[in-house]
Amino acid sequence: MKRKELMLLGCLSILFVACTDVDENVYDKYEANEFYGTPEGSDVALAAVYAQVAGNWDGVGYAGADNGWYDMNCMSSDEQVIPHRNTGDWQLDFARLFKHEWLPSDYIINNTWNWLYRSIFNANLAVAQLENANAESSKIAEAKVLRAFFYYLLMDDFGNVPFYTENNVTVDQIPQASRTEVYNFIVSELTENVDLLSPEKGGNYYGRFNKWAGYALLAKVYLNAEVYTGTPQWQACLDACQTISEGGFSLHSGAASASSPFESQYYDLFGDVLPGDETILAMYASVNIVSRSIYGVRTLFGPHAQAVFGYSGWNGTIVPKQYFLQFDENDIRTRQFIYGEQPGGVNYSMDVTSLDDPGAAPQAGIRGLKFYPAGIMDGGGASNDFPIYRYADILLMMAECNVQLGNPSAAKPFIDQVRQRAGLNGLDNNPTLTDVYKERTFELNWEGHRRQDMIRFGTFLQPNEFRGASQDYRKLFPIPTSALDANPGLQQNPGY
Amino acid sequence: MQKIHLQHMKKGVFINLILQPLKFTWVCVLLLSGTTSMYAYNYLPSNDVNKKTIIHPKIQQLTVTGQVVDENGMPLLGANVIEKGTSNGVAADLDGKFSITVSNSNAIIVISYVGYKDKEITAKENLGSIALEPDASALDEIVVVGYGSTKRKDVTGAVASVSEDDMNQGAITSPLQLISGKAAGVNITQTGSEPGGSPSVRIRGISSLIGGNDPLVVVDGIQGNMDLLSQIPPSEIASMDILKDASATAIYGSRGAAGVIIISTKKNKAGRTTLEYVGSTSIDYIPKKLDMLDANQWWTQAQLSGVPASANHGANTDWYNLLTQNGITQSHTLSFGGGTDKFNYRASISAILQDGVVINSNNQKYIGRLVATQKALDDHLTLTYNLNSGIIDNTGTVQSIGRASFTSNLITNAYLMRPTDPVFDVDGSYFNDPNVFQYLNPYAVAQTVINEAQQDNLFGSLKADLDVYKGLTLGWFGSWRKTNYTNGFFLPVESTSANAIDQNGFANISNSKQNEKLMNISLSYKKIFGDHSINALGLYEWQNQTYQGNYAQARGFVNNIATYNALQLGDLSSVRPGDISSYKNDRTLISFLGRVNYSYLDRYLLTVSFRRDGSSVFGENNKWGNFPSASVAWQIDQEPFMANQTIFNELKLRGGYGVTGNQQGLYPQNSLSLVGGSGVTYFGGEQITNFNVIQNANADLRWETKKQTNIGVDFAMFNGHLRGTIDAYTATTDNLLFDYTVPQPPYPYSTIKANVGSILNQGLEVSLAYDVIDTDDMTLTLAGNVSFLKNEVKKLSGSINGVPLNTNYVPWGPNSYLIEGQPIGTFNILHHTGKDDANAETVLDVDGNGIIDQGNQSPDRMLQGSALPTYTYAFNPTFQYKNLDVSMLWRGSGGNKIYNSLRSSLSYLENIGRSNVLESAVGLGIYTSQYGSDLWLEDGSFLRLENLTAGYTFDFKDIKYLDSVRLSVTGNNLILITDYSGIDPELNFSGGNGFGGDNGIYPRTRSFVIGLDVKLK
Repeated sequence: MKRKELMLLGCLSILFVACTDVDENVYDKYEANEFYGTPEGSDVALAAVYAQVAGNWDGVGYAGADNGWYDMNCMSSDEQVIPHRNTGDWQLDFARLFKHEWLPSDYIINNTWNWLYRSIFNANLAVAQLENANAESSKIAEAKVLRAFFYYLLMDDFGNVPFYTENNVTVDQIPQASRTEVYNFIVSELTENVDLLSPEKGGNYYGRFNKWAGYALLAKVYLNAEVYTGTPQWQACLDACQTISEGGFSLHSGAASASSPFESQYYDLFGDVLPGDETILAMYASVNIVSRSIYGVRTLFGPHAQAVFGYSGWNGTIVPKQYFLQFDENDIRTRQFIYGEQPGGVNYSMDVTSLDDPGAAPQAGIRGLKFYPAGIMDGGGASNDFPIYRYADILLMMAECNVQLGNPSAAKPFIDQVRQRAGLNGLDNNPTLTDVYKERTFELNWEGHRRQDMIRFGTFLQPNEFRGASQDYRKLFPIPTSALDANPGLQQNPGY
Repeated sequence: MQKIHLQHMKKGVFINLILQPLKFTWVCVLLLSGTTSMYAYNYLPSNDVNKKTIIHPKIQQLTVTGQVVDENGMPLLGANVIEKGTSNGVAADLDGKFSITVSNSNAIIVISYVGYKDKEITAKENLGSIALEPDASALDEIVVVGYGSTKRKDVTGAVASVSEDDMNQGAITSPLQLISGKAAGVNITQTGSEPGGSPSVRIRGISSLIGGNDPLVVVDGIQGNMDLLSQIPPSEIASMDILKDASATAIYGSRGAAGVIIISTKKNKAGRTTLEYVGSTSIDYIPKKLDMLDANQWWTQAQLSGVPASANHGANTDWYNLLTQNGITQSHTLSFGGGTDKFNYRASISAILQDGVVINSNNQKYIGRLVATQKALDDHLTLTYNLNSGIIDNTGTVQSIGRASFTSNLITNAYLMRPTDPVFDVDGSYFNDPNVFQYLNPYAVAQTVINEAQQDNLFGSLKADLDVYKGLTLGWFGSWRKTNYTNGFFLPVESTSANAIDQNGFANISNSKQNEKLMNISLSYKKIFGDHSINALGLYEWQNQTYQGNYAQARGFVNNIATYNALQLGDLSSVRPGDISSYKNDRTLISFLGRVNYSYLDRYLLTVSFRRDGSSVFGENNKWGNFPSASVAWQIDQEPFMANQTIFNELKLRGGYGVTGNQQGLYPQNSLSLVGGSGVTYFGGEQITNFNVIQNANADLRWETKKQTNIGVDFAMFNGHLRGTIDAYTATTDNLLFDYTVPQPPYPYSTIKANVGSILNQGLEVSLAYDVIDTDDMTLTLAGNVSFLKNEVKKLSGSINGVPLNTNYVPWGPNSYLIEGQPIGTFNILHHTGKDDANAETVLDVDGNGIIDQGNQSPDRMLQGSALPTYTYAFNPTFQYKNLDVSMLWRGSGGNKIYNSLRSSLSYLENIGRSNVLESAVGLGIYTSQYGSDLWLEDGSFLRLENLTAGYTFDFKDIKYLDSVRLSVTGNNLILITDYSGIDPELNFSGGNGFGGDNGIYPRTRSFVIGLDVKLK
């Protein structure tokens, strides 16, 4: 019997050795290292960075959806806001942004921060993978320019920000770089890489950083250089804009068209596919598939949108009366504003008495339909692409640089082009900075530039119909509380 | 009768013979007022024996004959028959008959048989048939302790056992309902009475955040998660053993931290034929509804709030009533079995059929079982085969629906409806109001939605035990469990749901299957060497679970005929990312374990166990973990110095320490850096699939470690009339699994799954039972238990790869948080101060800076208690008179707060234009609020009369075929005593993210049950 026992134990111990395999099987995903090591993987890594640009729910993306970068930058300006409604609809975050009462714990600010750093992670990954795979220099340059784009947005909103270009580091190896340091990195990264980008427009490069989009980004960085570093770069900005002009861009027609929103081709600039003559960089959107454009459906009152588009509106965004009243009634661009009697038995009043407490009446406020729902749509949005950079902006930037450089006569034709396309006359005199600012007010509202422009022109802190003058520190957003908690080494912006 | 746990209540056969009758005169006044019961009784032991000695002084020998039988009248061969106080004795023959000559007619005859209680009878010539009562003494009761069983008296850990006789009765749809309130420290919570829904159970509190707090479920050796519980019929459960402390659960290693529920199903007794039907039918009511404004009240209030006349549609609709009905719950089980001494089997078929109190919600469950045991090789080999197959069909209400401003389950949406809204429009379609953003007509949803689920499950096991050599047993056990789920959903445009309208109707179907295999090989050895007794076990176990599934969705159907059954009929041009998906993953757990039970003189007991687990879901750097435990017990009553005392019948001191793990919350692939699909992106002029790194990788990821120390005492006093168990424990969970906050940058996601923090649980559990009356004909036992629990999040911060992490004030529910030094789910909330001139709510600006900061760590927030109850208790009196039995279960908990989100949503008067409000909202007069303040924070304490059952058993000993019939009536949830203003304070106490709030639940029903149990011969 003893032998039998031993035999059994022996058998069992063989089993024990054989049956100790606890390695993990992966059936339905790819292991990151293997995946990105392939040529297809490196291309995909670049595409994934663009996927970060596309807006979607939860505050992700550049524009198109809600609670992210777009809302933070637009609603803190004077061009649009979502009031709390006295029917209990809408949270107060937007009103807080508009009234310059935002808090470091506000989740829109947190969303924006997280989105930008996840984008930078993806861009770092793409740069590393493309370099490893010895990809074409234009693709490596594209990934680097994308990274610079996200750092530019970060630095513009938050000032001194953690800076890193390689993912495989721990947080203690990531210093909080000064705004100037980040600025210098962006400028050098862009100047080194923009000429490597493809000059091809549209087609393959629709929605991508080609050479012209790269220069547009560089021009934007120079345009605000004084804000970022204290040293203006008007000439450098003008030079970059002039390079873009060589790309063969022109203003899209503002002619009448029965098939365009508000019967003007001007509004095709904000439609489903953005015209290539004027658009320099577009963000592609096709609702429910890639990004979306909620701005049309978000602004209209339910029955109004129901009557016009067949889907209920959200009764959100309004245009402050002060902003609207600056527009000339003959301006084609005034048509985007909706008020008074509308289909569906709706009647919007111009005045909004309260943004937060007790809130606005349901039908109070002018509505904005610059992004008139286009393409496939439903109650969750439409398929309008979003113009990140377009030539009208570049023309106005050239005008601004010329005025700043003491050359207003050179500035005049740029502004006049933009005005004439909108059905207005050219300016009577050579433009002043105020003329440039006003034209940007009319041309570029709702396109994500307003906060930056207001800070550059010194109007950001001025009081308006809903708030008093705000304090200087509001020119930067606070580093979100959660980021500070996670990384106690970070220094909060002054004032918060 | 001695039992450590709970109470005992014999509702079966009772023996009418007793040698020394006790005279009881009793008065029992049972006044029930809330929890107060008052009783008085008079207990007079008689001295008859002495008197008889005086009356019969003459000594005369006597020959006594009789027959010893068991409780079923079967002869007990070999029963010992002894004249008390002498060595004079005989054994009963094959027919259980005996004949013994005793010294005199006053002699006492003691009859004993293994497994039966001794019986003493005064001698007389013909004693006739003497039935022995099975010794249900808790000390000899078998307790299943995981990979084996032991006698209650040898248990060294904290184990609660509930046997069939002690279980709750009534309309039982889940096994957990059987033991609700029966075991201290085992908190069973039922939120609402949705058909097919199961209660949740927490053993000794919440010891994990995302690692899972559900206990491991073991059914006849088959291991599984909570879903295994729903796959066995409650009526087929013979006993449930709950392993509470680490010294008991460490044998389950990395799956043992949350406790273990071991279920033993009914088996047929060797040599007997059984045929039994058990059934019940219940009618279920909704005991409480919220008091909303009626049509007139609503319109009066709406006008005061400036609501235009266009919002008044002139109807008078009771929406809640429209969506609810009386429910019916039925349960039927037919079981039969038979066999010889070498073979026996039991088969059963059960049906549990529920029609819910919300329209179009029902659940049907059918389960068939077969258990067979065969002995072979001259009884050296025992084979046990177990097969269980079930089908569950469910039609559910929609769990999450509503407007953007308020999402809840469908029935809660009925509260929101303006009473003046009609159900139907003039054209006969369901009413919809375009002026209300995302208007939802809940009746339209209930009538048009298709929400069906089917679950098919099959599991079986084979157990082989071979006696190899004296005391040495070789065992093999294998089980395989397969579960298939299909869920179909269809929501048409007619439902009025904005989501359905946007998509022109949508349908989806998801299929998933689970394949769980387990195999173990064991060697066990039992030996008694003089005063030493040893029982050792060595075991190797391999288990693998594979999960697989797919999902498809379509939208834009031209009609509503095919619902989700033909997705290809949808508009294929509107396919979206996420419409099609599939997955597969698996996990393997390999374990080596050993256990030694040693006892000396039956007084000093020691149990030592060790388990080593390797799991595929652990990170590469931590594939294997060790889980040791040790416990000791001292049977003080067995000591010689206790021999002369009469107070204690039993006194046992226990102490144990063990390390257990938790890996439930770790899912396959959590530790790896993986790339997965992430929707679609636009690149290179076309839409292409987007790939993304899906999570922060962590190669160090591993199990949570729970270290628990337990000290306990079991006692029985005053002839066993007072029984109790007291346990105190402290348990620390280290390496706490959580999604810790990491800095962005450099991480692409703001959290990483890692093992960093720790949680402390400390508790005290007391169970007592007292027999107020204990005679042949009548028993009254008062039993109860109470548990006190202290929970604390010790630490959430630490470091990963040497980089400090800073995680604290993590939102864990509505205004509740995980805060270091506080219990899980601590409310950190703004303090309500009143309202301003515009009737907007005002709150306290604690730091006085003029800004109300609503951030998580805002200084304006105040700590105001936790969502976790700090005590739970149950009171369980049972009464029996002859064949009549009555039992009652009162159960309560307290010390917790509830954030009543639903009340806040239904209280702001600014909402009145689009929805109804509570009657109480008018008095409150708050027009709007920007805060979630403590105005909505309420005391969550409650006491419930959960069960009141009365039953009568008709014995038919003399009738052919019929054995007994039992009739019973049960009332469930008859009384609820609470200050909570919502419909029921028994909400989600799971400890998981989101608990502690009330956003509307499926109603908890009150039910009246009639039960029938027929046993045939």
